[in-house]
Amino acid sequence: MLATLWPLHAQAAEVVFNRDVRPILSNHCFTCHGPDTATREAELRLDQRESALQKDDSGESAIVPGNVNASEVYRRIMSNDPDERMPPVNGPGQLDAQQIAILKAWIEQGAEYQQHWAFVTPKQGEVPDVGRSPLLHNDIDRFVLSRLQSAGKTSAREATRETLIRRVAFDLTGLPPTIEEVDVYLADRSQGTYERMVNRYLASPAYGEHMARHWLDLARYADTNGYQYDTEREQWVWRDWVIAAYNRNMPFDRFTVHQLAGDLLPQATPQQRLATGFNRNHGVTIEGGIIDEEYRTEYVMDRLVTTGEVWLGLTIGCARCHDHKFDPISQKEFYASYAFFNQVPERGMRGFTPSERIRSPLAESTQELDTELAKLKEELSRPVNIDDKLDEWIKQIAASPNAGWHIITPVRMTSSGGSTLTKLDDNSFVAGGANPRQDIYEVTAKTESTGLTAVRLEALTHESLPGGGPGRHTNSNFVLSEFEMTATSLQDPKKTQTVEFDRAIADYSQANYEVAKAIDGKSGNSGWAVDGPTRKENATAAFIASAPFGYEGGTDLVFRLRHEANFATHGVGRPRLSITRDAADTLSLRGVPADVRRVAATSKAGRSDSDSQRLHDYFLQHYNPNKALQRRIAAIEKRKATAFPATMIMQDMPQPRATHILNRGEYNSPTEQVTANVPAVFPPLREDAPANRLSFAQWLVDPGHPLTARVAVNRYWQRLFGVGLVKTSEDFGVQGELPSHPELLDWLALEFIRSGWDVKHIQRLMITSATYRQTSHTGAAAYQQDPENRLLARGPRMRMDGEEIRDAALAAAGLLVGRLGGRSVYPYQPKGLWLELNNRPGYSKEYPRGSNDDLYRRSMYTFWKRTVPSPMLKTFDAPEREFCTVRRSRTNTPLQALLLLNGPQFVEAARHLGQRMMKQGGNTIDDRIVYGFRLVTARTPNPDELSLLRDAYAIELKRCVNNQEETLKVLQVGESSFDPQLNKTQLAAFSSVARLIMNLNEAITKG
Amino acid sequence: MSNPDSEFRRLETRRHFFGRSSTGIGTAALASLLNSDLPADETNSEGAIPGIKGFPNFAPKAKRVIYLLQSGAPSQVDLFDHKPSLEKLHMSELPDSIRSGQRLTGMTAGQKTFPVVKSPWKFQPHGQSGTWLSDLLPHMSKVVDDICVVKSMHTEAINHDPAITFFQSGHQQPGRPSIGAWLSYGLGSDTQNLPSFVVLLTKNTFHEAQPLYDRLWGSGFLASKYQGVKFRSQGDPVLYLNDPTGGTDATRRAMLDRLAKLNQIREEQIGDPEIASRIAQYEMAYRMQTSVPELADTSDEPESTFELYGEEARQPGSHAANCLLARRLAERGVRFIQVFHRGWDHHSNVQKYLPTLAKETDQGSAALIADLKQRGMLKDTLVVWAGEFGRTVYSQGNPQAFGRDHHPRCFSIWLAGGGIKPGISYGRTDDYCYNITENPVHVHDFHATMLHCLGVDHERLVHRFQGRDYRLTDVHGHVVQDVLA
Repeated sequence: MLATLWPLHAQAAEVVFNRDVRPILSNHCFTCHGPDTATREAELRLDQRESALQKDDSGESAIVPGNVNASEVYRRIMSNDPDERMPPVNGPGQLDAQQIAILKAWIEQGAEYQQHWAFVTPKQGEVPDVGRSPLLHNDIDRFVLSRLQSAGKTSAREATRETLIRRVAFDLTGLPPTIEEVDVYLADRSQGTYERMVNRYLASPAYGEHMARHWLDLARYADTNGYQYDTEREQWVWRDWVIAAYNRNMPFDRFTVHQLAGDLLPQATPQQRLATGFNRNHGVTIEGGIIDEEYRTEYVMDRLVTTGEVWLGLTIGCARCHDHKFDPISQKEFYASYAFFNQVPERGMRGFTPSERIRSPLAESTQELDTELAKLKEELSRPVNIDDKLDEWIKQIAASPNAGWHIITPVRMTSSGGSTLTKLDDNSFVAGGANPRQDIYEVTAKTESTGLTAVRLEALTHESLPGGGPGRHTNSNFVLSEFEMTATSLQDPKKTQTVEFDRAIADYSQANYEVAKAIDGKSGNSGWAVDGPTRKENATAAFIASAPFGYEGGTDLVFRLRHEANFATHGVGRPRLSITRDAADTLSLRGVPADVRRVAATSKAGRSDSDSQRLHDYFLQHYNPNKALQRRIAAIEKRKATAFPATMIMQDMPQPRATHILNRGEYNSPTEQVTANVPAVFPPLREDAPANRLSFAQWLVDPGHPLTARVAVNRYWQRLFGVGLVKTSEDFGVQGELPSHPELLDWLALEFIRSGWDVKHIQRLMITSATYRQTSHTGAAAYQQDPENRLLARGPRMRMDGEEIRDAALAAAGLLVGRLGGRSVYPYQPKGLWLELNNRPGYSKEYPRGSNDDLYRRSMYTFWKRTVPSPMLKTFDAPEREFCTVRRSRTNTPLQALLLLNGPQFVEAARHLGQRMMKQGGNTIDDRIVYGFRLVTARTPNPDELSLLRDAYAIELKRCVNNQEETLKVLQVGESSFDPQLNKTQLAAFSSVARLIMNLNEAITKG
Repeated sequence: MSNPDSEFRRLETRRHFFGRSSTGIGTAALASLLNSDLPADETNSEGAIPGIKGFPNFAPKAKRVIYLLQSGAPSQVDLFDHKPSLEKLHMSELPDSIRSGQRLTGMTAGQKTFPVVKSPWKFQPHGQSGTWLSDLLPHMSKVVDDICVVKSMHTEAINHDPAITFFQSGHQQPGRPSIGAWLSYGLGSDTQNLPSFVVLLTKNTFHEAQPLYDRLWGSGFLASKYQGVKFRSQGDPVLYLNDPTGGTDATRRAMLDRLAKLNQIREEQIGDPEIASRIAQYEMAYRMQTSVPELADTSDEPESTFELYGEEARQPGSHAANCLLARRLAERGVRFIQVFHRGWDHHSNVQKYLPTLAKETDQGSAALIADLKQRGMLKDTLVVWAGEFGRTVYSQGNPQAFGRDHHPRCFSIWLAGGGIKPGISYGRTDDYCYNITENPVHVHDFHATMLHCLGVDHERLVHRFQGRDYRLTDVHGHVVQDVLA
């Protein structure tokens, strides 16, 4: 590859050390004659000029400038004596003729050395004069064109507008443009329309998500701890911080300092402390036998290695065990830098602290809650006239003689585990027969009532139950993992809802198995239990709905009792269900007893004193207005307190921890003590600065730093063009690849610094360049000559990342939920992927697939389990995030084809795209096809394509007409329903066409 | 790369494909498209997908590997490493001179005494070779003359996650490619209908089993196409293999033909070879939709197969069924097949749990050896049976219901087939089964030896990452010549 990039001929005029010579020395000589003192042979080092020129004891010099024949190096290279020959005969590092010629020419020309380019601060160079041309939009193009001209090539024409808006939309937001956006852009022929379009996408909230998504790979962000059982963590508030920072266009220097050392800033704010979650994203072990210090050491290593890759573009980790073989970083310097990150008061085993509850910058304001809280508290402080309230309540009771709990009559009862459910005369049902480990009862009933507020579950004892209490286990306990319910209109079955419960009460709950756990959305061991082994009594719970339910004309109610705890056979033995219309905030488990009702129905005057007292006592005991208020206040306060989990953040110990060189990098082999410092090859820390993490972070973003800006702009370039100007974007060191356009890289780095590290500005510059706006449709020969487009003679074209592919499908289908931030979600994934790798009780669970909106959030919110990443993302080259990843691979496999063809998420999206085509695409088949095609590709299909798609529609329609059963199958993949107003066979045919369009190479490719 | 020959090949490819779209793309053409990292003219005529140029480095003895991985660490004291000396030492305290400063896990580091516990099971010599095996392995005892038991394995890791990660990737921390990924990268694939690296998971029955992780068959810093592909016993055998809309083969074929035509229109306009490669991937996906179910369906096996592997082999996800599946994969050209069995981590009640685990794995493993042998495949198939470390001779917890803690200093594995000397035991440990006394074999050595059997010099299978040439054996590893045939 480099050979084509660098048209190099040894006999050509000038050999340049950095470009021509260093790669040879580095690859073939430095392992034994380089920076590493431990492995250096014959005390010769060739990475420094004075050492190479030094005379040895016998008066020989390895290199004599201008005199090849006097140079020992050359003599050894040319030697036929296997004992003398270098590199050693039979070794892997043989030199070829061209390499030898280069070394010869270099010595002849004076053997000049250069400092490795990346360690020299970039200097403002001349922008090349390439004349005037409409192909030049900004200075980037002058650098690129100059390079192209010297290679005898030219730029490509500008891409079509449809291609451009799609390219820009994906590059800045990770989403396809909407048809409206495309139309606006196509119609606007005025000056500056392209720039306006770019600015619109830069201002989109989706921009922050997209930028953050890339940052998460670098930050090895995940929702689990990685090692062994890979338990869960909640670090998403930090992830939200990154999104918010990008959307506010936080300058990169602040972005850096806050993430690396926000906690050490004077008067650090919670948000600045939150930012430091960056360096707590490494894995954390909980493995029983682990040695604490071994893993604490790994965490510190990970921080330094990650920071080195992300900001310095250096493989600093190579100096963990020995001096770096290639770059001038000694092992001692490695541990001096390590000392900056070695000060966290943390442990290796379960090292989850320090941490702090900090609010997400993306969370909605709590103002509404605060107002509500103030109102309730004020109300509570007012004296209450009990008598008035009592009268009001009595009136209510008297007016609704039918209030209270109504026991439902089960129509149908099923057990997923094969238990026999038998209805008894009192409308309870008793479970018998098979006693499965886990069981889900499903009970169907009908009601005419509307405005229902709650459901009551009585767990009753029965003589057939083994333990004497209400559960099925011999210890008579049960664990109700989850209580669920759906309500469906009898008149219009399309009207259906999952009844959400926001409160649960019970007359008894076992410690840690509170009744609220039966409606917390978590299955497994999180559920309601009642101390069955010791308490052999009925237990009653009520679940209060967030909103009244029940449809006019009757409702089908389906109750689900999930018993999915790891404790086997812990089913409820004899459940009985009731419903009520009583006001949600005055509910009681028993309802108002008949005698109280009877008394309430009599006139006030006709009541005896004891009756009045009975009413008064009952009211105060069950309906005390202050109690209700207090409960509501407590609920809101709890909601506020638990809205955000504790995020792991950085902190330094008051007394610094001593740092030692670790022999061979091993935690238990400390040697010499070192103090925190930066490697000598770089500019020093500011003299007046304390040697701590904050100084280190500020040192990174000092305008004189040779690497930080180059490394950052190179990554932005890589994101847009597929390959960085330095291809090895993680390694700017001696072994890294040289920049394809060194002057452009430096120009961009300096512009970045000059602009105040303005991230949007530097990307805007790249995106508005003519270089970026070139077409990628340049023919097969161009792709063969420069497969990676290093010369930039065409526009970028590449397969998108997995996240973009899924998001694009959801967007085209109109399914994408655009909400920013929050807890990670669980979209579709094949069953069993978690449990097949780990089924240890207490340390494992089934993937808790989400529903509704959670299925259609952007992919960056998909729960990231390190040891079992989302198969969808993994198939498209997402890393495991067990460590920092600067470049993803971009492969092309049959598994990707299977996923796009058959993954339920994609099949469902295709059906919705088909539905959109029918509903919004116009009236003719052609119009509808064009509409769907544009939603995916942003362009109109050409006549050949349209004709193929039209044929496809006709054939599919015929097939669907002939095969109604299959048609229905197509329409039923996924949780969402289809529009029943539409003709089913047509919808199925359009869905097939949509599936075809979404599987086009173009659909998953940008450019 | 711009040589006229490969341009010709590309055109030829397209012609092949569009000329034969009803049956799919031609094999040779597919191969050239599949490995887009390689120039087309490096694919060979049999349609295999080559690896790195120059690999294998020398004539291989083994064409493929079936690796029966025993996660959790089986007890060498109770299975392979016969120690009559323990009769005398039973219930005596482990001397400090034997332990000699060995670091212990956090689980027994605080234990006050370390009483030696002999194996409660009898050992007997078997076969011509007289190889000693525990009575827990009655089926394996019939094939001892075909295997090589290595009793002198050792590792540095003392806990499961780092140890199994080390065994699978040569490094205790995550991030390196797994053995199978290295092989796919270096040697390519012998089949186009199946992945070259397949992972089979056996259903776990032990309540305290150690988990597995995707990284154990991951590609680390190699391109992700080299990672292992799981064949599953529940749901689709390969993820997303089946069309949830229930389309027939004919509708699938018609859809792919349309898709290919549409992609082709675009390719002509743009010229990006990625498009042709994408077409080829859809073709391979289509073929997998036939080849994988055919492979997973063992109903074509004769009764004798189930006599050999046991009735359990009819239950998908059992160890026996996976051993049988491994043989079927091997027959179809899959290079690296790894069967993961979990549940050997017995920190208490070894007497209760170990027999179950031994029984789960014994017959299937032995049957695999016999089956490969009768088919003439054992000579070029390397079979490995290994956990991540061994277990202590001393009791963890109460010696009455004794457990055994992790032991990295010595443990036993066995190898068989392609390139391995059959019917031998290699290496020795001391009377306490605590330290190696003869011929130690480090995990790196094991890796080097395995690669050697496949015709690969472990020092040459390298990948440049972050400026450094990495390899499976890091900077270590020696081929254990003594165990080679």
